[in-house]
Amino acid sequence: MKNLKLAALKSHKRSVITVGQVKIGTGFTVIAGPCSVESEEQTILIAEKVRAAGADILRGGAFKPRTSPYSFQGLGLAGLKILEKASRITGLPVITEVIDPRDVSWVCEYADILQIGARNMQNFSLLKEVGRVDKPVMLKRGMYSTLAEWLNCVEYILNEGNMKVIPCERGIRTFETYTRNTLDLSAVPALKELTHLPVLVDPSHGTGKASLIESMSLAAVAAGADGLIVEVHHNPPEALSDKEQALTPPEFTRLLTKVRHLYDYMHDDPVLTGKMAVLEEK
Amino acid sequence: MKKKELDLELEKIDYRILKLLDERMELALKWKKLNGENNGDYEEQHFIDQLNKRNYGLASAQFCNQVFKSVFSESHRLQSKKFKLIGFQGDHGAYSEVAAKVWGSGLIPIPNKDFTEVFENVAAGIFDYGIVPVENSLGGVISQVNQLIINTELYVAGAVELNVHHCLLALPGSDHRELRTVYSHTQALEQCHHFLARNKLEPLPYYDTAGSAKMLSEKAPKAAAAIASKLAAEIYHLDIIKENIEDFERNITRFLIFSKEKHDITGNKCSIIFSTAHKAGTLFKVLEVFARAKLNLTRIESIPNQQGSFAFFLDFIGSDKDEKVIQTLEEVKVHTRGFRLLGCYEEKKQL
Repeated sequence: MKNLKLAALKSHKRSVITVGQVKIGTGFTVIAGPCSVESEEQTILIAEKVRAAGADILRGGAFKPRTSPYSFQGLGLAGLKILEKASRITGLPVITEVIDPRDVSWVCEYADILQIGARNMQNFSLLKEVGRVDKPVMLKRGMYSTLAEWLNCVEYILNEGNMKVIPCERGIRTFETYTRNTLDLSAVPALKELTHLPVLVDPSHGTGKASLIESMSLAAVAAGADGLIVEVHHNPPEALSDKEQALTPPEFTRLLTKVRHLYDYMHDDPVLTGKMAVLEEK
Repeated sequence: MKKKELDLELEKIDYRILKLLDERMELALKWKKLNGENNGDYEEQHFIDQLNKRNYGLASAQFCNQVFKSVFSESHRLQSKKFKLIGFQGDHGAYSEVAAKVWGSGLIPIPNKDFTEVFENVAAGIFDYGIVPVENSLGGVISQVNQLIINTELYVAGAVELNVHHCLLALPGSDHRELRTVYSHTQALEQCHHFLARNKLEPLPYYDTAGSAKMLSEKAPKAAAAIASKLAAEIYHLDIIKENIEDFERNITRFLIFSKEKHDITGNKCSIIFSTAHKAGTLFKVLEVFARAKLNLTRIESIPNQQGSFAFFLDFIGSDKDEKVIQTLEEVKVHTRGFRLLGCYEEKKQL
């Protein structure tokens, strides 16, 4: 990893990325919301639920990179307008995915954070484009990518002048089929020792199964992640995309309570914070 | 041609017919104001007679007969309603029309090609009111309008402060990613300079904001958008790509509403106009009168008039029914020439 001039931890202080009132990289940031923006009603309803539960940032897809061209492709510009409205109503900043370099400037007009999805991790023209804007970029790990490849993509964005990059682990493809992906939580402490940037975890895509999300979220906290991005839907069976991995608002509230509790515990406990030495056998 | 294209063409024509019907009704109302109750009639029968001789085209004489009879009868119905008309400069959807709606919701806004036409039509009794912009927080005074105000015999009946919000408009169904050029009035283009630069859009000056929206809907130039009001999007059936695209949120335009008669209303703001002798300290004397009476001035403007001297516009807070104001104005008259109280009115705001 010799070419990480800007992403490497050495010679840089740990980055804190500010979005409105939220500071990613200090404390624990939780991003939540529907996979897709389906309608104004649905988005605002879910936005209000996740804000009430204590989420910091709203997520929602307007441009969807779907496996099949016949699946719901997202509402596009109309979806961005809905996100902006939901943001105005709830006061939550908004993150949304951009898949087309021609859309980058337009998405910036509506969203507070841009997301590059796993499928576009190595779309270098897209990376360069988001590198030239003044908005934070969350870069998801490609499903077949090594940490080195991923960090080189981070470097692409930094090299264009945008220093606000947030890598996000979302699972990689392995021979296991029970889960949608295999959430590689070892990537979290590994990235924390390689880069100064905050690291998020996406347990929704990482497992693809609603029942596994809570455990993996707690594990992400224990692994030292700076935050989570979680899919929440008021009526998962009716969701237009990713219905198997969406949490209901009550499930999300419970998850968030546990996650915050564990995070606080870890940051108060004298042993875990290193304030009290762990006795080692001589 | 595919079905979708044909559908679009049909829809476009239907909207054009609708627009023309609106214009027809507006004209009928203007006609009524000019000709009064029993002043003859537009020769509708003559038109119908000509129609019956028509022997080309798909729309048959009988069909056209039906259509126009119902157009005429609707015009008559509207004419009998005694609507109050307010003239504004520009095409439908202009910010002046937005301001007119803020001032009085029951008024019928009628477009005019320039400010002179607005004043003339109010003076002629065709419009009950005329609304014109006088100053903008970013662009300053609108000198063309001020020139007209010095010479008018109309009265000020009201004022509106409007925070102007620009929208980027495009033809329905057009892809925002394909947009390259943006038409609008130079002032609107300047006010959205950063937005246009961020999105790599080329600004193209047009005579009017609402006019650019109208042109867009009629001519459908390729890869083009317009900057105009939200109202213009509604009127010209355009998609709003983005609202509030102005670089600075505070962009306030002040409008004055003029009428032919002086209205007996209790206002809280007065506008006067006067000139002073070309001697040292004459304007100071006038201002001193206001200062002693503790009347708060909200605007003072000097405008060169044709005789090479200056006229002064002065707005202050107070009512012309207030004894103190009456006395103050009497005193001001002594120190000025050509003094005129333009009006005492209420100012409405939509900020």
